[in-house]
Amino acid sequence: MNYLTRRLVTFPLVMLGVSILVFISIRLVPGDAITAMLGTEAGLLTPDQRAALEAYFGIDQGWLVQYGRWLTGAMQGDLGISVTYGKPVLDVILERFPLTLELALLSMAIALLVGLPAGVFAATRNERPSDLIVRVFAMIGQSTPNFVVGLLIIFILSVGFGVLPVMGAFTPFFVDPLQNLGQLILPAITLGFAFAASVTRIARSAMLDVLSEDYVRTARSKGVPALSVIWRHALPNALIPVVTLSGVEFGYLLGGAVIVEQIFALPGLGRMVLDAILQRDYALVQGSVLFIALNFMIVNLIVDLTYVMLDPRIRLGDR
Amino acid sequence: MQFLRAILAHPSGRIGGVIVGVYLLVAILGLLGVTPHDPLMQFRIDRLHAPNGVYWMGTDLFGRDVASRLMLGISQSFIVAFASVALAATAGTVLGLAAAWFGRGWDGLIMRVMDVLLAFPAILLALLIIAVVGPGTWTSIAAIAIVYTPIFTRVVRGPALSLKTRDFVDAARTFGSSRHYILTRHLMLNLVAPLTVQVTLALAWGLLTEAGLSFLGLGTQPPASSLGLMLSDSRNLMEMAPWLLIFPGLAIMIGILGFNLLGDALRDILDPKMRRAAA
Amino acid sequence: MGQSFFTTSASGTFRGKSLVSTVALAALIGTAVLTAPASAATLRMAWSQDATGLDPHKQTAFSSIRLLELIYEPLVRLDSELKIIPALAQSWEFTEDGKTLTFKLDPEAKFQNGDKVTSADVKASFERLMAEETGAAARANFLSIESIGTPDETTAVFNLSQPDVPILTAMTSINAAVVPVSEIEAGSIGTKAIGSGPFKLEKWEPNAKEVLSANKDWAGGTVAVDGIDISVLPDETAILAALRTRQVDFALINDPLVATLVPNEASLTLNRTPVLNYHVLQLNPSRSPMTELGVRQAISCAIDRQDVLDTALLGEGEVSGPLTMPAYASDPSQLFCYERDVEKAKQLLADAGHAEGFSATVIAATGEPPTAAAEAQVIQSQLAEIGIKLDIKMMELNVYVDTWLKGDFDMAVALNGGRADPYSMYNRYWTKDGNLQKVANYIDDTLDDLMQKGRVETDPDKRREIFGAFEKHLAEVSPWIWLYTSYSYTAQQKNVDGFVATPTGSLFGLSTVTVAQ
Repeated sequence: MNYLTRRLVTFPLVMLGVSILVFISIRLVPGDAITAMLGTEAGLLTPDQRAALEAYFGIDQGWLVQYGRWLTGAMQGDLGISVTYGKPVLDVILERFPLTLELALLSMAIALLVGLPAGVFAATRNERPSDLIVRVFAMIGQSTPNFVVGLLIIFILSVGFGVLPVMGAFTPFFVDPLQNLGQLILPAITLGFAFAASVTRIARSAMLDVLSEDYVRTARSKGVPALSVIWRHALPNALIPVVTLSGVEFGYLLGGAVIVEQIFALPGLGRMVLDAILQRDYALVQGSVLFIALNFMIVNLIVDLTYVMLDPRIRLGDR
Repeated sequence: MQFLRAILAHPSGRIGGVIVGVYLLVAILGLLGVTPHDPLMQFRIDRLHAPNGVYWMGTDLFGRDVASRLMLGISQSFIVAFASVALAATAGTVLGLAAAWFGRGWDGLIMRVMDVLLAFPAILLALLIIAVVGPGTWTSIAAIAIVYTPIFTRVVRGPALSLKTRDFVDAARTFGSSRHYILTRHLMLNLVAPLTVQVTLALAWGLLTEAGLSFLGLGTQPPASSLGLMLSDSRNLMEMAPWLLIFPGLAIMIGILGFNLLGDALRDILDPKMRRAAA
Repeated sequence: MGQSFFTTSASGTFRGKSLVSTVALAALIGTAVLTAPASAATLRMAWSQDATGLDPHKQTAFSSIRLLELIYEPLVRLDSELKIIPALAQSWEFTEDGKTLTFKLDPEAKFQNGDKVTSADVKASFERLMAEETGAAARANFLSIESIGTPDETTAVFNLSQPDVPILTAMTSINAAVVPVSEIEAGSIGTKAIGSGPFKLEKWEPNAKEVLSANKDWAGGTVAVDGIDISVLPDETAILAALRTRQVDFALINDPLVATLVPNEASLTLNRTPVLNYHVLQLNPSRSPMTELGVRQAISCAIDRQDVLDTALLGEGEVSGPLTMPAYASDPSQLFCYERDVEKAKQLLADAGHAEGFSATVIAATGEPPTAAAEAQVIQSQLAEIGIKLDIKMMELNVYVDTWLKGDFDMAVALNGGRADPYSMYNRYWTKDGNLQKVANYIDDTLDDLMQKGRVETDPDKRREIFGAFEKHLAEVSPWIWLYTSYSYTAQQKNVDGFVATPTGSLFGLSTVTVAQ
């Protein structure tokens, strides 16, 4: 069996595993859905009322029955009804997803726009002071947790410059692109910070490897201009590891950035999942984790395929 | 000794080694209670005091000494990071070796389970685990360990698999070495290099994840101290008392930097060929 | 704010050759252009905690009540001095014997579906909330209702089994809102919000936002704004940032640490109102050693209430006894051990046979109130001085509520709701059949007796005397350690005018708010 078919066969298997894991773990969370929903007043419910509510939310049956029912629904695109939102889980997810997607794209754009040139630049100045400076910055960037970056950005802007990040009701891109970008730029920089640092480091080392290969040396000795060698001949090959890294990072970002969403008060997927876990919204947790895992795996699959296409020499057989 | 000298000869190893060494010292002092003040003592008359000769890094909302709490926080963060990485590395090594050695069905089963765990973004998986068990130091350790076990499993399984097919293992087999001997001696020796590198880097992640969880209020619980918790507490007070943000923020950053630098150096020293894949 | 972004970028801070600066610059300029105030007739509002449901009879969370008070109306409501004023009822009167209460409804009053509010709606609403299977939050306050008569469309007559003075105050709660009989029959209370109040709920995305529009047909007056857009910003520092950048006109603030920063901003106004809700350290007198009176009293004596207040809330509040409503509150310094006395505490503890102290666990909810963790830590440090070792257990709100309802704790840091009348405030805890008796876990004859007397007494002076004795006794037997009351805060831009706060924390005052262009 070749790599591709095997990936495709195991794909649904892994998804099934994810669904079982999340289904069980959310049910192990102490405090049941009814109390989570009603708060103090749950103490006033009679046993009959409680039973009626449990039947209404479909949590009266055994776990196996519940799981079977949920899985059958999920296959047909029906992820159930969210207790908190009172509407289909898929609708709730799709409302939050555009923000998360946009934030992930913006962060990646920042990371590539900064990281790629910086990495290539450093590689061409190998071991010279300017290379060292880039490397030091990249190392620091990679070592700074994003919530530290976020807090420092807010702190420096507000205390140092009297400028404040734009928070408030979130404006979707198609309603008002500029307002929307104004709201997302700081969180995107926050997320892009460490991402850019990783891109810089990997672009630099990939570039160094490529620059030492024969065909580049040949091109150089033939008198091809240095810039052209770097950008036209070397870069395309150095891109492979950059693509892998960006893909994996992007996949993670699609799962929502819980802490950064919290700091910048953004209604993204991460915060939604956290709220759903805390409020024992079973259907929403199950649906959104499945959705996030699916995204993540699809992105990874695409990355792997790109990898194979970019470099057929690589055999991924035993991964 | 030679190994230590090699680290010190490497520029980033030198810096990383010194940082990690200093942090370890601070963590031990914090654990032994050798701090400028009692980290839990509330000097409520002096609350929100700016840094001065008595309180080197100022005081917090309760009048507790930030420097002392930072020391305690570093030891707390280190305990969580070290314990979780130790667990993850052990579990990952056992699972990775088992997968490689037994092959076939076992391999498939173990690696698919790891795939399932890897399909969750790390922080979400940790959040789910904490929601089930309830927040606390041990929960953080377990959650971080579970999140990183698949990575170690992969790190171990790859080399183990290729080593298994190599001649010297076959040779050892034909010469009648016991199964046990082959496993421990040859495989482990050849796995030590990638594992050491991975452990160092995982410690950086461990610190990072612990801080993130505590920041969300799901890790270390008050009045104990951890770097993430201190940062989270500083948020509403940032304008009144910036030292509450600056010092823990720098402490996290430099600590993680130390482990990353050390990890880089180890990678260069132990396996120059790995340089490319890593960066 | 628009300017400040410009100044920053023009001063060269963001000028640079690298690409990231260019991206940032473009976006920052974009922001600057767009921060001009939007349509000013809609009030943009923010709060950190969203409503958890829409059924006015069932919701007890402060956050839900804040929302529902804008949509539904009770028969009567409280003004800023806690006087009872008309809402759906234009007038009301008790008969001489205090056993019949008659309301005259506002004939203009209409539900948002166009139907008139009639006495049939009143009857159906109260029958719903009195029915045990509804599980209504305020049911215990209305047990004296025997029947409800509806002689005509605008007259509702409540026949009571005994004189019940506090019932009128209880009726001011949104938990006693009048809902349309048609919606009760359709079973859609809680899924649709059709009230008679000043605002209509157009859209609700839980944990994200609400869109409210002004109810043009509201009988209570004319709403000055077109509507309210509420954003849920779970982090109060973010709310402050939104206020400063004029993204938000009006905001509800819970965290005193954040509230104290508002006045630093010249363009913002902070409204600070004392509220009836009280911060309290609940002991569990059914658990050893808190079963001992001496131990409870020792704890009371060991706690410096003002110090907890000064540290955890930056002094934003007033030390108070159990009764927090101005009409009944007494001078707290007259109550048992409100002056800290560590020696006495140690003595009491020793007399109770615990000279060495003991260990106990205190539970607190994460973020509810925002100061809970801080309060627990100060109390922990104060009790350590008499040898009591506290272990703090922070819980997510719903886990906390679960644990709290079961009475499954040694001690609990809590912020409990206050009422304008002492009986409706405390009958659930300190009467023998109170529905939260298992949370309080303590009752004695004196408390029960005084509660029952206060309930039927109609003479205001005598009631004050009864509840004065009740408060004194409660502080002395110390099942709980009452600490202080805090403030409710709202913050607004200078162009927002006309908001009146009340000690109940209601946002009903938004119905008279204007937003200048």
